[in-house]
Amino acid sequence: MSGIDHERFDELKDAYVLGALPEDERRELKEYLASHPERQAEIDELSNVAGLLALSPQEHEPPPELRRSIMSVVEAEARRPASGPRTWLAGIRELLSVRNLALGATALLVVGLFSWNMLLQGEVQDLQGQVENRQDPPGSRMVTLEGSEAAQRVQAEVMILDDDRAVLMAEDMPRLPENRAYQIWVIEGDVPRPSSLFAPQGASVAAVVEDPLDEADAIAVTVEPEGGSPQPTTDPMLIGKL
Amino acid sequence: MADLRRQYLLLADEELIALVVEGDAGAFAVLYDRHARAAYSLAYRMMGEKQAAEDLVQDALLKVWRGAGSYRTERGSVRTWILSIVHNRGIDQLRSLASRRRTHDKVEASASASQPSEAFAEAWRNTRREQVRKALGTLPPEQLKILELAYFSGYTHAEIAGLLGLPLGTVKGRMRLGLKKIKGYFDSQDMAVPR
Repeated sequence: MSGIDHERFDELKDAYVLGALPEDERRELKEYLASHPERQAEIDELSNVAGLLALSPQEHEPPPELRRSIMSVVEAEARRPASGPRTWLAGIRELLSVRNLALGATALLVVGLFSWNMLLQGEVQDLQGQVENRQDPPGSRMVTLEGSEAAQRVQAEVMILDDDRAVLMAEDMPRLPENRAYQIWVIEGDVPRPSSLFAPQGASVAAVVEDPLDEADAIAVTVEPEGGSPQPTTDPMLIGKL
Repeated sequence: MADLRRQYLLLADEELIALVVEGDAGAFAVLYDRHARAAYSLAYRMMGEKQAAEDLVQDALLKVWRGAGSYRTERGSVRTWILSIVHNRGIDQLRSLASRRRTHDKVEASASASQPSEAFAEAWRNTRREQVRKALGTLPPEQLKILELAYFSGYTHAEIAGLLGLPLGTVKGRMRLGLKKIKGYFDSQDMAVPR
């Protein structure tokens, strides 16, 4: 039985998430949590805040030999080595098959997004045509996006018109895994704001950037779940400073 | 191999972890490349020197490799989980040191701004770091000092009270206010606390 009551829990929880409780109190608090699971969410939220401290130290690059040392152990213990593409693909299929139930739930959203896309096609084609014909309107400008390791072959640009409309155009975007979409992020200062979603149907793609860029410092593209994410969940595949 | 790696790079951390659970070394390698720098920086801050930081990262990341099945999405992001393992192992190691000599426990001001990064993936992570540094910059120095002593040095709240000559209740209060203020920063910016 835990010796901690609600009041004591409130008193100790901050030190707990910071790792500053002595072992006996830490054990008592864990026992309390085990018998009061309704308070776990509170600890999780507080741990998330405390965990931000982990991002504050000055950065140091780990030495390459550390990667080699860790990966030599990992490779020796792996059931699926990095050089096994077939087994890896099978794994992805398994992973995706688990999500089939979720697909039904997202289907309606996808249909909505496609309908929305159809409405925007005309605008996209107009904007694309202007670029192809070098009829850039006065005041418009092009911003080249840089590709990540996974998108080295991609050529991508954003055309920003003087009335703040913008369209992102890209060639050779990597094929998306099932139930994923590309998401555009408009970055203002430190804050990435979610913008348009798109899923290339062929080698070329053009997507309207839904949000104004007048206050933006950068624009980026990440791979996200099909319905989009409120915050980026993967590293950017493309990024450009505005 | 290049195509295979490209495919891994398209996956979110949560998907990579699911593959790591199945013993997929390639998925782990991508996770390593995404998070080793943050893990090593945290380890270096805690241990204060290169070799001990490397040992800590190796210990923690092999725990990630062998214990990926214990990751729970609802408890936080993969990055937060990995860093929490580094942190917890670091605390254990600091406390088990025969000598309590911790040359790095001088409380420094928040780390200075990092060098501009050439890799844009780093730029993205740096954006998150900058958000955190700004949040920490809003803390009164006495609160930040206590949070850093607690988080990075492995001292208990009672030890911090003794070290600073403060009543234990004051130390607890500053911990509570400091964490509350960090969360308040993100609330005031209309942003979720990064996971």
